[in-house]
Amino acid sequence: MKVLAIVKKELQTYFFSPVAYIIFAAFSLVIGFLFWLILMSTHLASMKETLFNCAFVLLLASPVLTMRLISEEKRSNTMELLLTSPISAAEIIIGKFLACFFVYLLLMGVTLQYALILSSYCPTLDWGPITSGYIGLILLGASFISFGLFASTVTENQMIAAMISFGGLLTFWLIGWSKHALENTMGEFFSKLSLLERYWEFPNGMVDSGNIIFFVTFSLIWLFLATRVLESDRWR
Amino acid sequence: MIEMKNVTKYYGNFCALGGISFSVADGEVLGLLGPNGAGKTTAMRILTCFLPATSGVATVAGYDIFEDSMEVRRRLGYLPETPPLYPEMTVKSYLNFIAEIKEVPSSKRRARLDEVILRTGIGDHIKRIIGTLSKGYRQRLGLAQALIHNPEVLILDEPTVGLDPNQIIEIRGLIKNLAADHTIILSTHILSEVSMTCKRVVIINEGHIVAEDSVENLEKQGKATTSYKVGLKPAGLDWKSSFESIPGVSIANVEEFGNRVDFMMRLPDESAYDKVFSSVVGKGHIFTEISPARASLEEVFLRLTKSEESQPIERSKTS
Repeated sequence: MKVLAIVKKELQTYFFSPVAYIIFAAFSLVIGFLFWLILMSTHLASMKETLFNCAFVLLLASPVLTMRLISEEKRSNTMELLLTSPISAAEIIIGKFLACFFVYLLLMGVTLQYALILSSYCPTLDWGPITSGYIGLILLGASFISFGLFASTVTENQMIAAMISFGGLLTFWLIGWSKHALENTMGEFFSKLSLLERYWEFPNGMVDSGNIIFFVTFSLIWLFLATRVLESDRWR
Repeated sequence: MIEMKNVTKYYGNFCALGGISFSVADGEVLGLLGPNGAGKTTAMRILTCFLPATSGVATVAGYDIFEDSMEVRRRLGYLPETPPLYPEMTVKSYLNFIAEIKEVPSSKRRARLDEVILRTGIGDHIKRIIGTLSKGYRQRLGLAQALIHNPEVLILDEPTVGLDPNQIIEIRGLIKNLAADHTIILSTHILSEVSMTCKRVVIINEGHIVAEDSVENLEKQGKATTSYKVGLKPAGLDWKSSFESIPGVSIANVEEFGNRVDFMMRLPDESAYDKVFSSVVGKGHIFTEISPARASLEEVFLRLTKSEESQPIERSKTS
């Protein structure tokens, strides 16, 4: 399986270099602090606030995970190796996506300890909204990663890739707020495109199939575009 | 095995290849020669399906590079100018990765890995991190990568560039060894490399083929004009005239060192030698050195790739 070969290679790259460890350390620090802060100020056995904040911290972390995926291969001439091997652009993109998504899931998994801490002090903890919150985070992650992967295909500079994915994701995150200013169908439309608007129902315990379809479609579109950009490098 | 017909490549308005045609027979080693920027790498990138040609057709092992690019890629081993390595991987995990994406079946992977490691002589370094390898070992690993799926065709872009003399000899030996069971295209701008490793040469300049012949024939062509390296203590300032008064004799690359001059002398044929010698000595000039210049590929190469002479396409093709 050539896709698995790419996945394996990407995971090696993450964990043989300090990148993954630094991201895990920074993420744990920030999320730990936020969990403590929220618990101390609300005194509620709920993960809702923590998961909200977790989504935003993951939005900040994802561009760092995705920035080098393709751009580094372009810069160091290894793209020449991949594109002259019997492997399609789609296989390269899928392999890279899966590897990065796996690292994202591990990162997100760090926060499970806080749910366990809560449940050890509060046996009646409501796991429903926590489960739906994590479903939301998983879908959100797929969207973050596929957009970041796309950004990484358009440049051979990692910093530019990171800035594009950070700027783009933040725009998709905030765009829903325009409904308060516009108060018309345009505002409605923007709020339907917003990652934040789509996500916020999940930690509240609502799993809406429309939202699931949105996240899946959003991811597929960017993965498709990333594949096309990679192919066009070959035929340009 | 490899066939290129009228292949052109434009980068915007810049013409990198202006209609190149050549073919390589099964088991042949072809040298692609040319100054930097002549279009060697572009031609190779087109053959390896990395770049599309603007026009023209090319086939490898009977498969069109555009229509059946996957089939071509299965049969091709390619060493780009900079070996495509992942510095954070170990040599072994890198080769395993390449074997997987090049579709080496898992049952044969061990054997293939052992063979390329043996052939390229990297056995002592398989556990090392690639980033810590020396340039010579990176080059060998690049070759190992190109060989792992046992391709019929090898395309090597300047395989010895940047290596020290010992490493160059080793890599050349390796290429000779590989020539026994592979069809190889090799690009270089080092001439001695071609005469050591290739049977046939295509010389490219500014995107055009300026010569295509066997190494021996090209060397003969170089000997057709006889050149000497000459050192002289001239008796007067008009020393040049005593050479140039004899028809067909020309001098070039004059360098002065105090009372001595060094230059290259080209004679129309061997018989002019006596005439020149007696004429020059008769005028009181003193020879300090006369040695036959390496009449070789170098001369042909210089003649063919000098820009003012590149336009008339010279093609001496012998059977």
